[in-house]
Amino acid sequence: MNALGIIFSDMQDWSMTELASHRSVGAIPFGGRYRLIDFPLSNMVNSGINKLCIITRSNYRSLMEHVGSGKDWDLSRKKGGILIFPPYAVGENHGLFQGRLDALKRVLDYISSSKEKYVILSDCDIIYNINYKDVIKYHEEKNSDITAVYINTNINNNNSTHKIIYSFDDDKRACDILVYPVTNGVHDVGLNTWVMNKDFLESLIHDAIARNYKDFSYDVLARKVHSLRIYGYEYQGYYAHIDSLQSYYENSIGLLKNDNLSKLFYSKIGPIYTKTKDSTPTKYCNDSNVKNSLIASGCTIEGTVENSIIFRNVKIGKNTVVKNSIIMQHGIIGENAQLNSIITDTYAQVTNDRVLLGYSNCPFFIKKNSIV
Amino acid sequence: MKLTKKECVVMLLAGGQGSRLGDLTKKIAKPSVPFGGKYRIIDFTLSNCVNSGLDTIGVLTQYQPLVLNSYIGDGKSWDLDRMYGGIQILPPYQGMGDSEWYSGTANAIFQNMDYIDQYAPEYVLVLSGDHIYKMDYSLMIKFHKEKDADCTISVIDVPLKEASRFGILNADSEGKIIDFEEKPKKPRSTKASMGIYVFNWQKLKKYLSLDDNNPNSSKDFGKDVIPLMLSSNEKLYSYEFKGYWKDVGTIDSLWEANMDLLGCNGFDLSGDWVIYSRHTEMPPQYLSENSKVRNSIVSEGAVIYGTVENSIIFSGVKIGENAVIRDSVIMADVEIKENSIINNSIIDEMVVIGPKLKIGTPKDLNLGITVIPRESIINSMKEEE
Repeated sequence: MNALGIIFSDMQDWSMTELASHRSVGAIPFGGRYRLIDFPLSNMVNSGINKLCIITRSNYRSLMEHVGSGKDWDLSRKKGGILIFPPYAVGENHGLFQGRLDALKRVLDYISSSKEKYVILSDCDIIYNINYKDVIKYHEEKNSDITAVYINTNINNNNSTHKIIYSFDDDKRACDILVYPVTNGVHDVGLNTWVMNKDFLESLIHDAIARNYKDFSYDVLARKVHSLRIYGYEYQGYYAHIDSLQSYYENSIGLLKNDNLSKLFYSKIGPIYTKTKDSTPTKYCNDSNVKNSLIASGCTIEGTVENSIIFRNVKIGKNTVVKNSIIMQHGIIGENAQLNSIITDTYAQVTNDRVLLGYSNCPFFIKKNSIV
Repeated sequence: MKLTKKECVVMLLAGGQGSRLGDLTKKIAKPSVPFGGKYRIIDFTLSNCVNSGLDTIGVLTQYQPLVLNSYIGDGKSWDLDRMYGGIQILPPYQGMGDSEWYSGTANAIFQNMDYIDQYAPEYVLVLSGDHIYKMDYSLMIKFHKEKDADCTISVIDVPLKEASRFGILNADSEGKIIDFEEKPKKPRSTKASMGIYVFNWQKLKKYLSLDDNNPNSSKDFGKDVIPLMLSSNEKLYSYEFKGYWKDVGTIDSLWEANMDLLGCNGFDLSGDWVIYSRHTEMPPQYLSENSKVRNSIVSEGAVIYGTVENSIIFSGVKIGENAVIRDSVIMADVEIKENSIINNSIIDEMVVIGPKLKIGTPKDLNLGITVIPRESIINSMKEEE
């Protein structure tokens, strides 16, 4: 497809201190075997995009390790392929970038030298399945400067902190854009995905350099809502916005409800690709008892697991009961332990006989590599 | 120096039909028969090679190679997409003179001497792609060098009553082979050849040519080449392998090898000696509220609503509400619809069964394994009373 993909791996890591303390948002594990970046990457690959870059800011080791050459997304190509941009200094721009526009300024050379007609910008904090071909077609039809993908959904002020709210006229042209407002009710909520003509993006970046604009949401969307033709493309279907530990937990466990698994993983758009690992199939023992759970490969389950997400290479010991919990890869839960509403980060261990309780609106988080 | 030189080239015999696997090998060669939830039989040999540091592998194909060829692809699943060497499929080909199918294991190598020569190796490791085991071939090659042997044959102790199924050899205390009999009626030892040979390449070349000129030869390593080398007083040694090794040439042994993956005392797939395989992009497995899974292994993308006991469930398998799977091997992308009962069976890939059907007979009755061939759709059948 005639489009360049730009994925921002950590525009939001300030809001997810626990999960993103040592990794980029894009590298946060999700859904048993994925990381958040797999969803935008797979959307792009499934839409036929074969040239894209990932802009990352800090703690990008696990992200780079995950993406590697891009071959697991079929992006290890002679033409196009994938490129990761860690922070680097250009001219007077030193230190970390301070916003989406600031980040784009630094990869202007890459954008300018690309031959593609369109650019798709996407973040990693929103999980959904979309075919960008449809968005680009719509973008052409509306002759818009910027096409923003949104969903019409109900939000409450507990989880509205990191959302961009659009107001559209009858033609779906944006007439008001609010960035991170505190609000309730049904709104047109942005999915942090924008389509532009590449030439237009370049002109935006030149303008931003001249005016020292740094933030795309405030300085372009909100400030220029009337002067630019910003149109909304409505998405309908499964979506999850991960912007806090709580929403991470709810959306993870939420996969086990309402047919969400088949909506996300068996959609018409295509499969979700991820880094392949050579894990063995998962082994269940004589006393294992698993209900309504998603279990990745390489696990050994000897105990009871209910309403939980179990990542790759996890061991659950005998007589242990894990409920409503998320156990990330390489977690080891010993024998006779009880866990309810717990998130254990990667390589965490819970030793024998421990009883750990969180609550559904306040899950208890166990850090990477820690031993309880 | 020639960049392409390799100390050891592997020749993997993957052309056999495996006729004793019946319907399972009707459309595919035996090495590509699925095994253990996510693997194919050839994965074990290929992974052993890579883990042993061997990266130049010729795969000799003949019978129904389509699935095998596309499965292997460029070899990247086993890290065998290399600048030099890597994996190469070697089908029979037409030459200037006589063209022929591979008439035996030795003839298959004989016809591909040019492939081996381009790497100018000291040694050639000949393997067959139809066994389940984990083995470090580099130790065997080291042994071969230490003994200054011309040929080293890997052997494993088998029960005496089974010995007449194998090539049986006798060796002295140093491991030097005294005699070798292919499938003897009255075996004189329990040291069975595993069909794994290390040859000095120049010696092997000589004997392959000699054997090719013998009109009475069946062009087989076990029947012809090894006896010829022995009678010519070459130095043949036996290398003892200890560990799990299973020939999966029959329906029963294939079923047993799968069952050996269950419990704690059989064959462990995990550990540092990783068995690589080609991936399918599937989400994690989902076990529903009413599912019961006991003593089984289950692969990615499986969706289980029913009961699974003592079974191997491959990727993408769907098992409906109240369906019961016992003592069975359910291969990839099979759908067992609700209220169906599967006992003691091997269900090949992409089969659809049910609803409300019974396949197989309970294991206790000892009536043997039921096999349902690839892509069958069974939705009506007289229900067994």
